[in-house]
Amino acid sequence: MGLRAYIVTRVLLTIPMVFLLLTIVFFVMRILPGNPVLLKFEKNADPALVAQYTHMLGLDKPIWQQYIDYVWNLLHGNLGLSMAGTFEPVGPEIMSRFPATLELAIYSTIVAIIVGVLLGSFAARRRGSIADGAIKVYGIFIYSFPVFFLGMILQIIFGVWLGVLPVGGRTDIGMIPAGLTIGNIHIQTGLYTIDSLLSGNLPEFFTALKYLLLPSLSLGLVISGVFVRMTRTNMMETIRSDFVTAARARGLKESTVVYSYALRNALLPIITIMGLQFALLLSGAILTETEFNILGLGSYLVDRINFRDYTAIQGTVVFLAILISFVSLIVDILYAYLDPRVRY
Amino acid sequence: MKGKLSIKHRAVSGAVVAVVVVIIVIAAAAAIYFATSGQKPVTSTKDTIVVGTTDSVQTTIDPADAYDYFGINIIQNIGDGLVDYAPGTTNIVPALATTWTVSPDQKVWTFTLRQGVKFADGTPFNASVVKYSIDRQFAIDEPEGPFAGVGYDAIINSTTVLGPYQVQFKLNIPFSAFLALVAFTPMYPVNPKVAPMHSIVNYTGNVATENPNGLGPYMLAGWVRTAGKDIVMNLTANPNYWNASGGYPKTKNIVIRFYSDSTSLNLAMKSGQVDIAYRQLAASDITSYQNNPSFKVWTGPGQFIQYVVFNEKSPPFNNVLVRQALAAAINRTAITQGVFYGQAVPLFSMIPIGMSYHIDSFKSVYGDTNISYAVKLLQQAGYSASNPLKFTLTYPTGHYASTDGIAAQLQAAWQKTGLVQVTLQALPWSNYKQSTSADQLQVYIYGWYPDFIDPYDYTAPFLPADGIGFLHSHYVNQNMTNLIEQAAQTSNTAQLQQIYSQIQMLTAQDAPLVPLFQGTTIAVSTTHVTGIILDPTTIFRYYTITATT
Repeated sequence: MGLRAYIVTRVLLTIPMVFLLLTIVFFVMRILPGNPVLLKFEKNADPALVAQYTHMLGLDKPIWQQYIDYVWNLLHGNLGLSMAGTFEPVGPEIMSRFPATLELAIYSTIVAIIVGVLLGSFAARRRGSIADGAIKVYGIFIYSFPVFFLGMILQIIFGVWLGVLPVGGRTDIGMIPAGLTIGNIHIQTGLYTIDSLLSGNLPEFFTALKYLLLPSLSLGLVISGVFVRMTRTNMMETIRSDFVTAARARGLKESTVVYSYALRNALLPIITIMGLQFALLLSGAILTETEFNILGLGSYLVDRINFRDYTAIQGTVVFLAILISFVSLIVDILYAYLDPRVRY
Repeated sequence: MKGKLSIKHRAVSGAVVAVVVVIIVIAAAAAIYFATSGQKPVTSTKDTIVVGTTDSVQTTIDPADAYDYFGINIIQNIGDGLVDYAPGTTNIVPALATTWTVSPDQKVWTFTLRQGVKFADGTPFNASVVKYSIDRQFAIDEPEGPFAGVGYDAIINSTTVLGPYQVQFKLNIPFSAFLALVAFTPMYPVNPKVAPMHSIVNYTGNVATENPNGLGPYMLAGWVRTAGKDIVMNLTANPNYWNASGGYPKTKNIVIRFYSDSTSLNLAMKSGQVDIAYRQLAASDITSYQNNPSFKVWTGPGQFIQYVVFNEKSPPFNNVLVRQALAAAINRTAITQGVFYGQAVPLFSMIPIGMSYHIDSFKSVYGDTNISYAVKLLQQAGYSASNPLKFTLTYPTGHYASTDGIAAQLQAAWQKTGLVQVTLQALPWSNYKQSTSADQLQVYIYGWYPDFIDPYDYTAPFLPADGIGFLHSHYVNQNMTNLIEQAAQTSNTAQLQQIYSQIQMLTAQDAPLVPLFQGTTIAVSTTHVTGIILDPTTIFRYYTITATT
């Protein structure tokens, strides 16, 4: 089957998967004790008021009816109203929190790839040496390292002892980048590093970067473990292959052979790994966000679980599921494009 | 084929090269930036103080809606009441009202207002603004708001404008503690041009339209919030503040930074990101600041109390002997020292220490950690080593601090009698309240922050006539109901002293609930900060604070 048919199939398969996930979350949330209405009352819950709110949020309907209503609204692109606080629509809330998470994910991935690929290829080239052994140990060690613990260590070293990097937040007080306005079109991504560049404000850009450094380092390093091991294994296989031997026979420098001939081919599977790591990246982001005081989707989800905010949790889960499916689809397509041997 | 392949290879290596180049450029630029700029985090000068907190405005900063500690506290700094508390005391002093009179039956209160006060947009403050603000509370009557929550709507009958600067409140019932209600945020005047009669003012991201207050020492200069969580809030001195001549506020700008948990706040304090950390640092962290010369730890009496409730619907807790025995055996010091590192004090009455009419009633009835008396009472109730009293103590998680530690200490103290077996059960806060309302719990822990600063607010809500209220203790005693009714109607201090003493003694004797401890209010700051006042009102005043560079 052609690439187009493959994409269509994949997208169609995503739909039942998201629904299955949504259904599980929907019913699990309601089976768990605690309900969003009672959580609204700090001291006294007047039964008449509780009934009024329950009715307003539609929680007095039979559960199957609630489910059908929710799915019906979802199909119309409506994620519903949050059940906590001031009943804001969930969609805009998710979109206001997502940029922070996306930014953290992007920079963490960059860290993971750079560290992983450099260490992995270096180890492969010096196979069996002490350095190789050390890098192998690093790969296993860092991968099993809890992300929040690494974050804490970095916070203490760079924030408290050296006092050179901020330990939390996204930017300095009163420095939220404005983005770019052309005529009446306003571009503001919510990614501070991009918005600050758009508005051409370098100090703001570096401040945002400074705040991102520790969280993306802790999350990126933990994920880099997989990249180290994958790169190393792939490189070793590639180095043994015929075309590398041929390149060596032509008298090319070893570094040229390794870094431009072998690495290029060894990197292909890394792209697949990136797709697989994406879900892990998001779960790591939940912990990292809480720890580094970043108001992203991760901390949103944690908050709302405490409030039993059904609609917000369902909305976030649907959003993340679609996002992960979408990313893995893109990765597969990219892979097919880069490796002609792959046919769908 | 071959050609195609190389194009793809080029694409891959091109991408890799591009990424590497971008990284190098960023790294080099960052290196240059760090080399040429100061690397210190923002430190405050004399005109800006940064306060860090783990709180966040729960809903809005509209006095008709805010019912959380932090939201109310912001209103107390950017708004003002007709009367106020003198900092450091619980004495009520004039603020937007200069004088007031009350009818002999405690039902009609007349206030004369300060003249020449105006909101930031020039709107003048007068008797119509006060009437508008109170009528608006009635019009909205937000069920989750403080107006209904405290019961203003049941107490106030009407607001009348007697003259441009004279306003009168008629009450439905005689209520001697009315001034304490006037001093609380639901009765703060709002700007009629910002606050519509029938709707709550929500966060908009624009300070002109999201802040209905405006008569306080500070103005709201900026507020950034995302999906119900605050990121940063800027307050700046109000040039129109009526008491500006008194030198308030002391510092031009206050910046409040919000942290997700006590760990982040602690790191921010340690790394110099904030000048003051107020609510909530972990008890163990506070201990480390006490031994650190670069920081100051400020402490004051708290208004937060915690107590144990017995559900009399669940036998044997309908037996007063059982309740008395458990009340006698409790070791409060084990909780305040062992769980809270001395950052709380033992409490022997439901009315906290530092509040009028407080007496140590539980101490005079039971002593302290009186195991032998507890054993005696349990034996009278028919329990023995072979037939011990068995029950479950339930405590909430995710709402109050260190409840697991408190529960463990209670269990240990009760089991010291040798006649009691306690099972511990933890419930998340949401289910906890639900289980309480459904009478599913036997013995459980609750805490209390006052709505208004008066002993009435530490008795009436816990001891309702029907025995249900929010605690569901099912304790009903006509004597108690009569005493509480009298307390509301009496303004004579000597009589109040007597009534509250009787209430407290009766609470100790019947032990429907047992007070455990009273929290301490704690703030940590750098050594440059002065002027933090932590008093029994628990109002955190930004306007008295100063800092040197």
